[in-house]
Amino acid sequence: MNKIFSIIFGATLAFSMASCMDSHDEPNTDNFLITAKQIGEPNTTIYGVKEKFKTPISTNNTFEQVKEDIIFEGVVVGNDVSGNLYQTIVIRHIGSTPEATDDQCIQVGIKHTILYPYFALGQRIRVNLKGLYVGNYSRTPKVGQPYYTSSGNLRLGPMLLEKVATNIQLIGKPNSEAPELTPRDFTTSEGEQWLRDSNNRNYLNSPMLAKVSGLIKEVQGSEKDNPATGALSGRKEPLPKIFAPEVLYDAGYAVDRTLLLKSNNSSITIRTSTQNDIAFLPIPADTHTYTGIMSYYSNWQMQMRSVNDIK
Amino acid sequence: MTKGVSVLATMWCIAGATAMAQIQKADTLKLHEDNADFTFTESQLDEDLDASQAVASVVAKNDLFLNQVGFRFSPMRFRVRALDNMYSQTYMNGLRLNDTELGRFNYASIGGMNDATRNKEGVDAYDYTTFGLVGPGGGQSLNTRASQFAQGRKISLSATNRNYYGRAMYTHATGLMANGWAFAGSVGYRGATEGVIEGTFYNSAAYFLAAEKRFGNNHALSLVTYGSPTERAQQGASTEEAYWLANSHYYNPNWGYQNGEKRNSRVVETFSPTTILTWDWENDAHTSRLTSNLGFAYNQYSGTALGWNGNAYDPRPDYYKNLPSGVGDVWDRNSEHYVGKEQFLLDQWQSLYERWTSNKANRQVNWDKMYHINRQNEAAGGEALYYQERRHNDQLVGAFSSTLNHTFNKNHKIAMGVNLNHTHGMHYKTMADLLGGTRYTDIDKFAAKDYGSKSLEAQNDLRNPNRQIKVGDRFGYDYNIDVNKADLWSNYQYTGGYSQVIVAGHIDGTTIERDGQMENGRYRNNSYGKSGMAKFLGGGGKLTLAFTPTRNHRLSLSANVLSQAPLARNAFVAARTQNNFINNLTNEDHIGFDLSYAFRFGRVVGKVSGYHTQITNQVKQTAYYNDQQSTFTYLTMSNISKAHYGVEAALEIQATTNLSFSMLASVGDALYNNNPYAQVSYEGMNPAELAKLNSVKNPVTKQPMPMRVIAKGMREDSTPLTALSAGVKYSYKGWFFEASANYYDRVYVGFSPYRRLNSTYATDGHFYLPTGVSPSGLPVFEPTLAQLENEGGILFSNDGFEMASYAAAQEKFKGGVMFDASIGRYIRLRGGKSLSINLSFQNIGNNTNLRTGGYEQNRSDFYYKESGGSYSKGEGKAYKFSKNSKYYYANAFNFFLNIGFKF
Repeated sequence: MNKIFSIIFGATLAFSMASCMDSHDEPNTDNFLITAKQIGEPNTTIYGVKEKFKTPISTNNTFEQVKEDIIFEGVVVGNDVSGNLYQTIVIRHIGSTPEATDDQCIQVGIKHTILYPYFALGQRIRVNLKGLYVGNYSRTPKVGQPYYTSSGNLRLGPMLLEKVATNIQLIGKPNSEAPELTPRDFTTSEGEQWLRDSNNRNYLNSPMLAKVSGLIKEVQGSEKDNPATGALSGRKEPLPKIFAPEVLYDAGYAVDRTLLLKSNNSSITIRTSTQNDIAFLPIPADTHTYTGIMSYYSNWQMQMRSVNDIK
Repeated sequence: MTKGVSVLATMWCIAGATAMAQIQKADTLKLHEDNADFTFTESQLDEDLDASQAVASVVAKNDLFLNQVGFRFSPMRFRVRALDNMYSQTYMNGLRLNDTELGRFNYASIGGMNDATRNKEGVDAYDYTTFGLVGPGGGQSLNTRASQFAQGRKISLSATNRNYYGRAMYTHATGLMANGWAFAGSVGYRGATEGVIEGTFYNSAAYFLAAEKRFGNNHALSLVTYGSPTERAQQGASTEEAYWLANSHYYNPNWGYQNGEKRNSRVVETFSPTTILTWDWENDAHTSRLTSNLGFAYNQYSGTALGWNGNAYDPRPDYYKNLPSGVGDVWDRNSEHYVGKEQFLLDQWQSLYERWTSNKANRQVNWDKMYHINRQNEAAGGEALYYQERRHNDQLVGAFSSTLNHTFNKNHKIAMGVNLNHTHGMHYKTMADLLGGTRYTDIDKFAAKDYGSKSLEAQNDLRNPNRQIKVGDRFGYDYNIDVNKADLWSNYQYTGGYSQVIVAGHIDGTTIERDGQMENGRYRNNSYGKSGMAKFLGGGGKLTLAFTPTRNHRLSLSANVLSQAPLARNAFVAARTQNNFINNLTNEDHIGFDLSYAFRFGRVVGKVSGYHTQITNQVKQTAYYNDQQSTFTYLTMSNISKAHYGVEAALEIQATTNLSFSMLASVGDALYNNNPYAQVSYEGMNPAELAKLNSVKNPVTKQPMPMRVIAKGMREDSTPLTALSAGVKYSYKGWFFEASANYYDRVYVGFSPYRRLNSTYATDGHFYLPTGVSPSGLPVFEPTLAQLENEGGILFSNDGFEMASYAAAQEKFKGGVMFDASIGRYIRLRGGKSLSINLSFQNIGNNTNLRTGGYEQNRSDFYYKESGGSYSKGEGKAYKFSKNSKYYYANAFNFFLNIGFKF
């Protein structure tokens, strides 16, 4: 019997030794950062950056490396919370009067998905441009680093995350009530008139957080039941129409819809990436207000930030 | 006794300290900096190469080659004749233990009970067997009946610097007692808080209990139960670039710091409690023996992996976008995008290089980051974006076997038997850790991208839509696979004065059925409930003719034919989500020949064999995360035809009574000799897109062509096809010394079927039409032969006839030498006690550049452009996937000290 007990004792010992090794305490992430702790004091504004780098910013798809400490601040007004903006945040100058000269926005490209937990709307950030590049991507002023696109073109793309760790600093906590989150209002006839004015179509007005109102052309009248065919996929879009069916994707993996402004004599483009929550929303046939990041290429074009940007 | 145990414990502590010293040594390995390849990676969910399963398994004591090859070549994961372990069978007390879903015997199920499973008999594929049917890889029978253990106790203590650092086993056996009872038991433990590979751990207990009762002279009833609950953290393969950046071929991307402590993302838990009841009957004349078994096992295997949702960034540290070579071409100096040509590319390369090399934490999993993102996202109203899932592959197995052995006389004997097996496989995943999150909805992230997160298609289980998942809950997929297997077998042996004849035959039946436990939104009509049963009838036969002119010479010629059911694991298009069986699912067929000559010339003993096995209609499925399509992918090849052939030799020269020399050689080939059919399934992808990806058109006629993998000439991977060894053994007054030099070559990387699909060739621009006619009237093609043999391609005539096809080259690793040695002493003590000490060293030269295996990434080097619904080759990617495979390396210098004390 002692022998049996000795085996049972041994088994118990062996099993007690084999208690779980894969157990871990949850980390405290209150102070977790992917950004720098201190990058210096601001010495310019977004407007100042746009003026200083006017040439690379205003010449399509050019850029220039910054060799000196140029530091500016802004509030995050656009991010990738829905996935419609990709590897991009948009920041806006702090505290200026809306539509004043210094009420400027600029795109900041970061080579990482899911930026919004770090750069929530209303988050104040500081950027040191030293070592980064300033220019434009398809005429939208941008900060980032160059890259070759999948078509082999050299463009100003997102900066590596390593640069975020040295060149971007968070200032305080996000403020979802920040006044900078109020979009410029183009829903009025004056606003639409402003959009039609070709003098406004320049780098100083692009990008911007904007609000427009109107009807989407693709779901009006007979067009509503007339599916478009994707030039690349060769397939027809499903009905009822949604903002960005995959079959209509273009070279930028997005779909353009036409928003007829209320005055009905001008339009802008609503551009939506495929494969995100906005893409699958049915297009409303009646008049709605759309908020998002507006920029100018051949026409004004808006990218919504989330499904909440449709009212 | 107490003193003896104290001495043993002290020695174990010393050995442990030695092991710890080895940790430091292994951790500071310096590599040659000229080994500066640049690569990047992709996950491969099918991988489990750190488990010690892919090695030669059969040890046949009466076969000079098989007796040594398993141990000698195991550091390089050598497989005899390059055959998978599924082709060899393992029996315990007459009951077959091979897993019917995977085909293999799970060695982990008997881990840590070496002293309890030491009594075994091995046979090669053509040997006469008394215990059951064996396949082309041979088989082994473990005899664990309690009466077979010598009476006494044994303590074994081991120290090593491998997956674990310490092992302790205690075995106790009563022997057969006067009352007809016999008992044996063994317990063991193996463990390491951190194994030789950084970030791994090993934690394994083992128990074994056996009882036997003899009833009279003719009957015995034996009960055996055992199990080995194990928890171990895995090593992951990585690319040469990652190894170079980490300055170690043993860099492990699976772990990272959490709260400053190391945590591994891939942790495997296994436990297979098994019980076997055996009834033995033998007649009085000892000429007939009937062995019947009833067995039950509950196999539990699960492994964790990181999961991520939505657009969350891939958390794997060696994800290709994190690697310096991701910024531009590092291979071709003439490339427009060569990193050295552009300062901004060089700057980015340097920035990533510094990130990888400046701090170890930067090249490991960032747990804190995942926790941070989950908490931030939940605070903003979202849910967990990162999580750790546990994938379960459990089985309930019930098996019965009965074997009759009868010896007619000294010339004739026969064995026959029946095996029945029912396996209920349960496959599902559970939430292991929400990594700081509290909410998670059970929808498919890939389908959500295709159809929208609110769509029915995004639902993993329409019967429980939008189910909120907590830790421990099942989610994602849940299905069972039932396999029934029955076979009748027999073999007969005639032994004459100068000859021997062995004839064997069997017939078997197999059924396979899937039973979905979830109604998947993408496969509403064929995911929930039963798939219907696929039935297969198999069988085979073997014949051996042996000529034995003298006792010192035996020449034998053997042949076998075999037709066996496909494995359940390969039978379904996408087992996790749907019930459909793959196309062309048929029996796998083998025809094999073997010519052997065993001899003794004075002091020289040897054996030489030549073999050839032709395998046809094989089915093989690989499942992996496909970065190209951003989805989990199944790629199944069917109608595979392969040939395994070669020569094996073993030689032993007894120079003196104390000194002997041995040589061992295995030189063979194992290659595909056709281009198998292919079928691809992407989880979550819509049917139209899937149909498009499963079609390929003739470039001239535009008619559909069968989708195939251009695999002709590809070789079996992750085993040396050339393995040579020379050894010496010396014994003196109870001491023995052994040393061997082992040369390995022709180890090939696991080839990617995806990169060799004819549809991939079509889009990558590897379909070629004649560009002219030679003076002799033959069509002329633009690519050179070298280009075709390197990149692959298919040549078509002007009327669309497929003239020739070339598989893209498969990387062959550099060969190398490994030196092993051991020293031992057996000490007989008073009172029948004994002490044995054995210390062995592997890879004494510390060759850290020997690759044991690896696999290519399943991605193309090119972007695809779509126009009007057709894909064509676009720009070349910065990363050259074709040049960047993931590798495993043989262990650096390591030792194993074992001390056994019998009392």
